[in-house]
Amino acid sequence: MSQQVALAVVGSGGDGAVAAGDIIAIACGGVGLHVMKTEAYGPQIRGGESSCTVRVSTTPVRAQAGAVDALVVFSWDDFARFRDEISVAGSGIVLHEEGHAAPEGLGRTAIAVPFARLAKESGAPQSKNIAALGVLAALLGLPADAIRAAVKQRFAKKKAGVVETNLRAFDAGQAFAAGLTVDVEPLMYMRGAPHLLMSGNEACAVAAIDAGCRFFAGYPITPSSEILHFLAEWLPRIGGSSLQTEDELAAIGAVIGGSFAGVKSMTATSGPGLSLMAEMLGLASIAEIPAVIVNVQRGGPSTGIPTKSEQSDLLHAVHASHGDTPRAVIACSDVADAYHATVEAFNIAEEFQIPVIVLSDQLVAQRKETIDADALVHDVRERRVPPPHELEGYRRYAAGDDGVSPMTIPGMPGGMYQTNGLEHDERGRPSAMYGVHERMNAKRYRKMEAIAREYPLYRCYGPSRARLGILCWGSAEGVVREALDRIGGVSVAAFVPRMLAPLPARELQSFVDACDEILIVELSFSAQFHRYLRTEIDLPRGRTHVHARSGGKPLTVEEVAGAATRVLAAEEVLV
Amino acid sequence: MSCEAVYNANDYKSDLKPVWCPGCGDFGVLTSVYRALAESRREPHETVIVSGIGCSSRLPGYVETYGFNSLHGRALPIATGVKLAAPALTVVAVGGDGDGIAIGGNHFLHAARRNVDITYLMMDNEIYGLTKGQAGPTTPAGDKTKSTTYGNPDASVDPCRLAISLGASWVARGFSGDVKGTTALIARAIAHRGFAFLNVVSPCVTWRGDDQHKELRAKVRSVPADHDTASAEAAQRLCGESEHLTVGVLYDVERPTLLGEMMSIRWRAQGDAAPPTRTEMLRTFGAGFPRTSP
Repeated sequence: MSQQVALAVVGSGGDGAVAAGDIIAIACGGVGLHVMKTEAYGPQIRGGESSCTVRVSTTPVRAQAGAVDALVVFSWDDFARFRDEISVAGSGIVLHEEGHAAPEGLGRTAIAVPFARLAKESGAPQSKNIAALGVLAALLGLPADAIRAAVKQRFAKKKAGVVETNLRAFDAGQAFAAGLTVDVEPLMYMRGAPHLLMSGNEACAVAAIDAGCRFFAGYPITPSSEILHFLAEWLPRIGGSSLQTEDELAAIGAVIGGSFAGVKSMTATSGPGLSLMAEMLGLASIAEIPAVIVNVQRGGPSTGIPTKSEQSDLLHAVHASHGDTPRAVIACSDVADAYHATVEAFNIAEEFQIPVIVLSDQLVAQRKETIDADALVHDVRERRVPPPHELEGYRRYAAGDDGVSPMTIPGMPGGMYQTNGLEHDERGRPSAMYGVHERMNAKRYRKMEAIAREYPLYRCYGPSRARLGILCWGSAEGVVREALDRIGGVSVAAFVPRMLAPLPARELQSFVDACDEILIVELSFSAQFHRYLRTEIDLPRGRTHVHARSGGKPLTVEEVAGAATRVLAAEEVLV
Repeated sequence: MSCEAVYNANDYKSDLKPVWCPGCGDFGVLTSVYRALAESRREPHETVIVSGIGCSSRLPGYVETYGFNSLHGRALPIATGVKLAAPALTVVAVGGDGDGIAIGGNHFLHAARRNVDITYLMMDNEIYGLTKGQAGPTTPAGDKTKSTTYGNPDASVDPCRLAISLGASWVARGFSGDVKGTTALIARAIAHRGFAFLNVVSPCVTWRGDDQHKELRAKVRSVPADHDTASAEAAQRLCGESEHLTVGVLYDVERPTLLGEMMSIRWRAQGDAAPPTRTEMLRTFGAGFPRTSP
């Protein structure tokens, strides 16, 4: 009996590989199991090869499936495309279409299954994926009743008979599996309260609505477009607006305009879009206008790898735009974290009148995780708007202790001012004077100090004094946590800053100082996180190790555990 | 909220002194803006003026309303955001020809296409003034400027012809030397439902020479009384007459505006049903919500 199973389904467009994964994820989440589901596609817009992996567990899932226990392959030609990404556990089984022999050395047992014939005989020739679900459910001990219910729901709107033939295909798959003698450990679980199934992008969108965002402007870009899609559907239903702009310059421009006019506003993009937004980021910073930008990282530079994850926008997010440009940057590690990071981004943006970047990545943004609805709750803060009696001699940019000066909203009598991308005095009037520039830079940077004080966001795992301390951020967190569990013992700890700018530098430094060795783990070929940390804290020379590589393939628990073990065994080359 | 209190042009003057050169056409435009705003009978705090970068983009600072002096070329997307967020405000975008047609040209296309409910006032001086005299998109071909030592190799653009072809629903031309006429045009632009584009020819005495005012004034004539403002072809023809500078409303049609479309989208999304609750929104992520009590 097992507490978790991982599976993958690979096929051509039309095979329904991804749909099969969706159905398992919905069904398992519905009976209280924890699920993480990822998808991968070939470059074709429609058709072409597609795959998904699903990890189902009785305990929370923090990293995507590594080696899978069961692999369903409708065509080996399609599988070849994902050879780098999908591996089968040594004890795993491979279920492949009859007549397409499996390559050597993949898993322990290869079983030919007549998926197409089972589907055809059930009267649903399109539904070999549903037949495969029947086989998987029977072999892996997945909740058959919940899967049947999910199949019903999926085809409920199709014409009469479709539900019945698909259920027959599912049953045929189960019956076929009953005739097999395969030694697989089925999942053993207790049913619990149902979970929601949500992607990181959807979590950002829901968080925006919860935070009070009522204006979204964006330009389509992979892998962030689901945020645009969700908000285009939902904002108009709750009295908000969503605008698809002509480019990312206009997207952030409209967001800055909307926010200036008093409505919480957001845009979402990926690396190339963030590059275009760089100048406007500076405008929001100097004009002190709240703005939230979700940047979903993908492989870079330039167009790079639009559909795969990487952590290589870090330095851009932290430094983009010319001049001294304060902004906050918050990472998100998983789907629930994407929700909290986005609400926090609004809170910081509104409270400190500053642009805030939520740094997500394709892995978190496009995978689906089960999530407890109770976890989607977060305090919401509002911007400081001066009451009417404080408007006598109103100075929009008057210096406050924390650098924040109350902000009127156009339409308010007596609160008129001109905001400005030019350096300006306390009333917003353009100024080229050194003294004004110095004073205003100091005002704007005081906000960063205040944010650092109020939002020292990070998470720490393991003992407070460890032989090895791992530093990582964003989507690497889940993998590192599982690696810690795997290594076990009390020798390894991890520190994960959630605020990347301003960094919780004091807490981070204390952690580093308490560890004998440091290992930095990241998906950036040039080790941006390592280089960033070098500028912000003191890393011990000779005792700092770096595991950094290109994105395009997720970090794995094995990989991180291996790197940590090597450092503990003092084999690693020092930096 | 329009009001009965009467404002005069001076109420709109800020205490900031323009940085413009003596003789600059933009002074005339500024006076027209003061007067047109007073005529519009809107409270000063109900207006937002958004600009890009350039000599003319300094204008918001000289007007006592809410103002936003933004980035080079980006006034229109910011103005669009302001209008969508606060539909009750009067939103006027201002800037120069380089700002709006060169670096910001793409936004011009899309603001016009969307028919966003704002006024766009372009002060056209046929030159980059603030950067000290380089050719711009409206500089005539062949002209020698600081950046076109041997003559401008590029054909110039007529902003009004461009605006009509882009789908602007209201297009007019003014001349900065004609304060009265320009005032009337600005007031009409503000009153128009949809994207109103007003190109005011506003001579740069510093980089285009002292004779500009005189030469232009000699060419100015009003839109003929029999001009059909609903005809894009007729409007294009008027623009094309190079011997004249035809001022007045060239094109004026009604078509759906961005704000109207946004309201219609809300209706299509929700009708007169109550807005969905958060629970309903979360239910799209799984039949399992809300949690059934044990």
